Amino acid sequence: MSTTEIKNRKPRFVRELNAVITITARDFLLAIKSPFGLIMSFAMPVIMMGMLGGSLSQNMTAGLNFDYGQFMLVGMMVNMLFMFTAQGLTSLVEDRQTDFTQEMMISPVSRYSIVIGKIFGSSFGGILGMIGTLIVGLAMGITLSSWQLILIVALSPLMCLSAGAFAMLIIGVIKSNKTANMVIMIIAMTQMFLSGALIPIANSHGLLLVLNRLMPMTYCLDLTRAVVYAGTPEYANVVLFNPAINSVAIVGLTILFLIVGTLGFVRSEKNR
Amino acid sequence: MNQAIITVQNLTKRYKNANKNAVDDISFTVDEGAFFAFLGPNGAGKTTTISILTTTLGKTSGEIKIAGFDIEKEAKKAREKLGIIFQQPSLDLQLSAEENIRFHACLYGMYGYRPSFRMMPAEYKNRIMELAELVGLKDALFKPIRKLSGGMQRKFEIVRSLMHTPAILFLDEPTAGLDALSRRNLWDYINNMRHENGTTVFLTTHYIDECEHVDKVCIINNGKIAINGSPDEMKQSLLKQELILDAADRSQLIGELSDMGMFHKMEEHIIVPYQDITAQNIIAQLKTKLTVLKIQEPTLEDAYIEYLKISGGKTV
Repeated sequence: MSTTEIKNRKPRFVRELNAVITITARDFLLAIKSPFGLIMSFAMPVIMMGMLGGSLSQNMTAGLNFDYGQFMLVGMMVNMLFMFTAQGLTSLVEDRQTDFTQEMMISPVSRYSIVIGKIFGSSFGGILGMIGTLIVGLAMGITLSSWQLILIVALSPLMCLSAGAFAMLIIGVIKSNKTANMVIMIIAMTQMFLSGALIPIANSHGLLLVLNRLMPMTYCLDLTRAVVYAGTPEYANVVLFNPAINSVAIVGLTILFLIVGTLGFVRSEKNR
Repeated sequence: MNQAIITVQNLTKRYKNANKNAVDDISFTVDEGAFFAFLGPNGAGKTTTISILTTTLGKTSGEIKIAGFDIEKEAKKAREKLGIIFQQPSLDLQLSAEENIRFHACLYGMYGYRPSFRMMPAEYKNRIMELAELVGLKDALFKPIRKLSGGMQRKFEIVRSLMHTPAILFLDEPTAGLDALSRRNLWDYINNMRHENGTTVFLTTHYIDECEHVDKVCIINNGKIAINGSPDEMKQSLLKQELILDAADRSQLIGELSDMGMFHKMEEHIIVPYQDITAQNIIAQLKTKLTVLKIQEPTLEDAYIEYLKISGGKTV
């Protein structure tokens, strides 16, 4: 192949899309080759949903005017997707330490394509976590209809982007893989409680209210529940905001975090 | 005269928290299709300069154009013209060699991504096989990188960078860790690529013999350009050519050389350095019957080492 032939390649959009797919595929490959990661994707739902959620369900949900099991199942599915996607994105920092980032940074593709590819690639663990949660839910006698599942799957790319963009914001300023993993894990756990994955937050106030409103997962969870509970009598008891508000908040925060995070990451790569 | 494909003007780089510039106000150009060697001792600023030119490191000040594109404002367009063999290994150790190369080729938009080698186009398969054969590693192509030796990993790094045949190929100590045969094969391939595609090669190396046939040599030392010219100009400016002579009647030969005003020194034979005169001119004026006659041509490495001695530069 000559240099002239390379010049006459596919249109830019197709090349950027191909770059996103390539980067995503690499992370999928890496996830498949890492048995520990796969085991964790199934172990976490057992711990979070089975033990923590199960315990809450048996001891602290008396008097709730909705089915807590389904509430928890939807919450934990979104939480797993969020947590594993954000966690997976820390591999960008690992790539930086092993100098693999150089290989990506020198390629003639948009930095946003690199980051979006990494986000979708990182979501593989999240998808497995969601499946694991569904299986644990099934074992606990909690189910969702096929239609509800389809709706959750349809929303999942947006949630992956939101989780990834949030993680990018953190990764942009952290240079060590160990620190990035730790910070992301702490934030993921905090989000799980603050955003209402397990515990309803309708009556939060003061600092907790401010914090849960700042968490992008709050809006992702609420939008998912709005979609899942649409047309049911429980809707008003479970859903906090109008889906339009959730959508605007998710898209706005995702774009903001993605831009700031990517710029921060590129800056920290270049400005040494 | 070819147009400049790389233009560097007043480039300065100071790392965060450093008390001096790693690269200090350097300027140079590289012509399109040229073979350019960028030499210097360890820590002179070579890799810093390459990192800036390849857009992976930000500059402190200065202006750089790659194929006419300002790397600050049109970085993506500039990157389309580049290929690099990094000094530091940058392969993904979890993937196989082929997966690493496939990732690179698809990221550069050469082919649409396919999840397996078998599903990739025939053109890709042929090219990767051709390059793997070049470095003698066809059999290791599908093995995980982490299970290969450092030298083998290096070879695959080279294969990866050659996949997309860039207009400008940056080689940051490309042959470090390679065996002699692989070095020879690599240079044959790169020279062939230069002739077929007009590829511009920007080389840094500590094997100075690899630069003997380059078009231009630029020596950087302590962040500043010390010498910039052709290898011949560099040799001439730093070293004299020498005639090695001897005769049965040594005193007659020395007398003749003295009459000609030629400086000479006695070692095992009589050494006569010369400049601005040809060896033939000197020999033509000698009447003494010679028993030893050799012309000593300095190599680029001789000149480079001489420069380091003169400048007090660090050893390579």
